[in-house]
Amino acid sequence: MRKYLNILLLPAIVAVSSCGLDNYDAPESKLVGQVVYNGEPVGVRGTGEAVQLQLYQDGYELRDPIPVYVGQDGTFEAKLFDGEYKLVTRDNNGPWVNDRDTTVINVKGTANVAVEVTPFYTLSNVQLSLNGSSADASFQINEVAGGRDIEYVMILVGKTSFVDDVSYTVRVDIDDVAAGSTVTDAIDLSNNTDFQSGRALYARVGLRPVGKDQAIYSQVVKLR
Amino acid sequence: MKNLNKSIAKMLVLVGITCFASCSDFLERESDTILPEEQIFEDEVMIRSVLANYYGRVSWGQHIGDDYQYTILDEAGKSDGGPDNIQNYGNDLWRVYDYGLIRNINQFLQSLRESTALDEEDKQVYEGEARFLRAWTYFNMAKGLGGMPIVGDEVFEYEPSMDVTVLQYPRATEAGLYDYIIAECDAISPLLSDETNTHSARANKWTALMLKARAAIYAGSLANYNNKMPSPIRTPGGEVGIPADRAAGYYEQALAAAEDVIDNSPYELQLKKPDDLERNFYEVLSVKDGNTEVIWAQDRIYPGTGQQTAFTTRNIPGSHAEDIDRAYAGPILNLVEDYEYTDDRNGDIHIRDNEGNYIFYDDPLDAFANKDARLGGTVILPNAEFKGIPVELQAGQKVWNSGSWQTVIGQPGERDAAGRLLTSDNGPTRSNDQYINKTGFFFRKFLDEAAGASTRGRNSEMWFPRFRFAEAVLIAAEAAMELGQQPAAVGYINQIRDRAGIQPLTSVTLDDIIQERRVEFAFENHRYWDLKRFRRAHIVWNGVVNSPTAQQYALFPYLVVAPGTPNDGKYVFDRLVFSGSLHPRNFELRNYYNFIDLDWRNSNPKIVLNPFQ
Repeated sequence: MRKYLNILLLPAIVAVSSCGLDNYDAPESKLVGQVVYNGEPVGVRGTGEAVQLQLYQDGYELRDPIPVYVGQDGTFEAKLFDGEYKLVTRDNNGPWVNDRDTTVINVKGTANVAVEVTPFYTLSNVQLSLNGSSADASFQINEVAGGRDIEYVMILVGKTSFVDDVSYTVRVDIDDVAAGSTVTDAIDLSNNTDFQSGRALYARVGLRPVGKDQAIYSQVVKLR
Repeated sequence: MKNLNKSIAKMLVLVGITCFASCSDFLERESDTILPEEQIFEDEVMIRSVLANYYGRVSWGQHIGDDYQYTILDEAGKSDGGPDNIQNYGNDLWRVYDYGLIRNINQFLQSLRESTALDEEDKQVYEGEARFLRAWTYFNMAKGLGGMPIVGDEVFEYEPSMDVTVLQYPRATEAGLYDYIIAECDAISPLLSDETNTHSARANKWTALMLKARAAIYAGSLANYNNKMPSPIRTPGGEVGIPADRAAGYYEQALAAAEDVIDNSPYELQLKKPDDLERNFYEVLSVKDGNTEVIWAQDRIYPGTGQQTAFTTRNIPGSHAEDIDRAYAGPILNLVEDYEYTDDRNGDIHIRDNEGNYIFYDDPLDAFANKDARLGGTVILPNAEFKGIPVELQAGQKVWNSGSWQTVIGQPGERDAAGRLLTSDNGPTRSNDQYINKTGFFFRKFLDEAAGASTRGRNSEMWFPRFRFAEAVLIAAEAAMELGQQPAAVGYINQIRDRAGIQPLTSVTLDDIIQERRVEFAFENHRYWDLKRFRRAHIVWNGVVNSPTAQQYALFPYLVVAPGTPNDGKYVFDRLVFSGSLHPRNFELRNYYNFIDLDWRNSNPKIVLNPFQ
């Protein structure tokens, strides 16, 4: 009888000891945040992993950053282990002045962080509406950081709520716009198949500073 | 007792056998399949075969061994089934980081220098070839990554407990790496032979000079155009970014090296068939024997395991195929229209007149009359001949039906009730089917005409030229243009244009250089690197839907069915967005330099990252 007991003990030992060192639970803590300027969220391209932040954690042998992808409304989110992290923007990435100062974050349960950036331009008083078969857009361009011209502004209409310079059904680029001016335009959609289909349409406007890899965008508006 | 004695005797014999057997060095035999270094460097044939191994390890980027790579830019479109989904370019596209090869070459150099099997002259040639391949490897690293660590002739040996930091070399500056490549080429060109060799498979003096010219013109244009960007791409330490004041010096070096090749080398702008410039151009690239233009190529031979390329097998028109494979990819209209007309620099195909009506052609090939001869030498046009048989390309019929044109498309090879062809077996179609063309054109450059070259069992012996005389001429034209020597630049570029049968230029701009290189070197692994070094890639491949340069386009020929009218039986064309690629090409600023793999930095913390990373 004792012999059998011993045999039963063996798998139990194996089972217990194998759950030791290398099995962590998945991270449960959460870092949420938003890229902001003066408290206002900064709209960016949210597809294609275009805008990223980087999280570093000291004290380990290797120092690979954890990429944190910024959504089109400037929000981001990461599931992490508790601990101290350093958050930086990616080099030269995003429509703002390149600034790689570190934000130190203590993650315990949930951490909330606002990443302050200085955009080259902002877009305000954005009006986007559907008027018959025409998408009307009007917005004001404000220079913030200075030192960079405007490459173009664009008005984008998309058929999903993800709209940016690569995901769209209609894109109109306007060159030669000046800081401080108000841009108004009406886009004729009557020949567009996505307009003709009668389904939902979304729109936003964007501005690309010269020599930056990304444009700054307004928030997405549902046209219908 | 007797038995016992017998047993003891047997035992003794056994012990004896075991003892003797175990004393032989059975386990310490010399391998008869692995040769130690001393044996190799005692024999010239062995030395040469080691070198041949290195020659086989230096193909990167676009080449005919991997034709899919042609479809990701604006030269060809993917046709082997459903569309590609390319929305942007990878951070490691065509990235080269081969310190394994560099180490092997350095080991080779070390042993070669100690070898007694060769006389001094032969030794120099081998040394020159090995160092050339090393410089070529660095050059391929530099054009993707910028400045990378230069390890010289060092062969590192790691032993446990040694200080690894002495093995960790920091990155050189971008200028520093190009300077090193140029200096290496200067040092090895006198070591190498100045004579040609079979199929230009081995490096000689002129190859080294061509690498020098190419490295110098790349460095010059990087110094020049990077600093003209609104925000130049650079790192604080110069690992990426060459100072603007270095440009002129590089251009002068490039011009001198290119002119040396033009004036003194045994190569020429091959013109063996002045009466048939299209054929002439095809033979410049695709016929190895008696070639006088190609300076260095990756050569191939049949038979021999793995020594052939499947490019012809995969891309041959269906009507000419000898095996199941065909039409994996085809050139796109963007490239075709970039070839000029003999007297018109706008190369757009005339498919509609000013009122928007179709232009009717008796033969589909007539639409391409008076084009740059290089077009026909690079691309198989609709109804052009390959191996003496026309390549039929017909997407469907345009039927005149009560005042408007109706497009009728059939199954491949299907005919209408009157027996007229609807859609050709070759295509083009907009389906997701395999083995049918979707662009309206087939490759001609590098397509092998030899019998059996398109079978899986044999494949093709087609080479892949890496340097040729025309590049020396265009490097000279570019360098002269950048140095303000217009007459020289005009002279050089017109040599190239003259061979193509198109009108001469009276002045040369950067756009002329880009245009000429685009059409002369299509499928030769130049386009991507050219647009990168001129900092034009993000403008040409701007990611805008239906952009004339970023979106891929196809040209579909149709048979006109309008009984009783003069146009019946003629051909018209439609220009269509290419169905095999859904998105426009989008080259972003981060793509100007490959990203550094973080693993490299983990093992060498002195490696700094590239911009945008």
